[in-house]
Amino acid sequence: MRSMGRTDLPPEQQRALQRAIVWEWVTIGYTSVTIVVIAFVLGGSQAMKTAWIEDMLSLIPQIAFLIALLFIRRPPSRRFPYGLHRVMGVGHLVAGVALLAVGGSLAVESALSLVRAEHPAIGTVQVFGQTIWLGWFMVGVMSVIVIGPFFYGHAKAKLAPTLHNKVLFADADMAKADWTTTVATIVGVLGVGIGWWWLDGAAALFISLGIIWDGVKNARAAVRDLIDQRARTVDEAHPHPLIGQIVAHLDGLPWVKESAVRMRDMGQVFHVEAFVVPRRHRVSLAQVEAARRELAAMDWKMQDVLVVAVASLPDEAQR
Amino acid sequence: MVRRARAIVTTLGALVLALGMSGCGLQIPADPDGTLERITGDVLHAGASPSGDLVTVRGDEVTGPLADLVEGFAASRDARVVWTVDSEEDLVDDLANGDLDLAVGGMTDASPWADRVSLTRGYPEIEGSEGASVVMLLPMGENGLQAALETYLDEEVGG
Repeated sequence: MRSMGRTDLPPEQQRALQRAIVWEWVTIGYTSVTIVVIAFVLGGSQAMKTAWIEDMLSLIPQIAFLIALLFIRRPPSRRFPYGLHRVMGVGHLVAGVALLAVGGSLAVESALSLVRAEHPAIGTVQVFGQTIWLGWFMVGVMSVIVIGPFFYGHAKAKLAPTLHNKVLFADADMAKADWTTTVATIVGVLGVGIGWWWLDGAAALFISLGIIWDGVKNARAAVRDLIDQRARTVDEAHPHPLIGQIVAHLDGLPWVKESAVRMRDMGQVFHVEAFVVPRRHRVSLAQVEAARRELAAMDWKMQDVLVVAVASLPDEAQR
Repeated sequence: MVRRARAIVTTLGALVLALGMSGCGLQIPADPDGTLERITGDVLHAGASPSGDLVTVRGDEVTGPLADLVEGFAASRDARVVWTVDSEEDLVDDLANGDLDLAVGGMTDASPWADRVSLTRGYPEIEGSEGASVVMLLPMGENGLQAALETYLDEEVGG
């Protein structure tokens, strides 16, 4: 028997994957440039510092995605009989935990700066003989870099459902919310400009809470898949519709009395255990094998499929 | 839902800022404690700590290139200087407590006081600095004062 599961992709998914890889590299390139540019105008603003660190953190999901891709292509082996798809989930969890930890520490730092009433100092720079307040450069830089995430955020959000890739989806989701960070930074810096020192710390706190929330969302989604929750859609909103389709298909077979499914998300692909109660006590090998092939033909994500004949259906399997 | 809340808070923040900006006299950067406005046409409370040729103290008189720059800056704001001579640490305390508006004493841009007071940019061109990147100390976050002082220093000694 040829190995269970799959590590190759149909043409549509291959194209989507190629584009996703290109977009990830574009994002890494763009973010690296913004990190360097922000470093030049950092000054004493807590909001700027928080946005800068968030920029660095935002690289983790892309790097996790690209590294995981190297692993999930490998076919299943004796040692890893389910393949290495879970590497994607591990990367997702690492990204989530990093966001959570750093976001938490930044939130504490900004809250303390507010409590201690620390007034942020932003001096001037001399450019071509003119003395200009550094805050204007901060506002200028942030106004320019706000544009990028709109493009790559929406591009990746379109690709994520095609690939059923939750790391890509979460990454796109964060990029789409990134403008709030950038605008908050501008508000904080201009607040300092008009003498409202607290607006800088408040903006920093707001940005850190956003980072914490991203961390919670990512870590939660990753953990749930790693502990084998029922497979859900890429946005986690609903149980995956394929479960219902499998049950409908099996129930429609003449030799099947009733059926139920346990399906888990391995990260991009599913592992399916379909339980069937036959009408008679005798089931032919050909029937089971045909059912298995038919299920595998329903969707590219679903190649690691077992059809198990049982006397009665387990309660936890979904009908 | 959280994403919408984030967008709403961001927009509200921007609106509050817009109100604030239209409300004030629009001097940017401005001082949270209004130091620049207070000293203009009045008194600049300056601290000095003796340092080589840069700041020399003889009796009540504070002289040297750094002291001259402070006097010059005060004059440009129609203010007179009232000097306090003390150790560096006491000057930093006075700045943090709001008793002083400015302090000099040959500190450089590598000064460890940077987390308690604000440092101006370094000015290695100041006479007697021997190439060291000499700074002046200001109360933290009085950005209007700092911008005015740095503008003056850029004109007097170059960046």
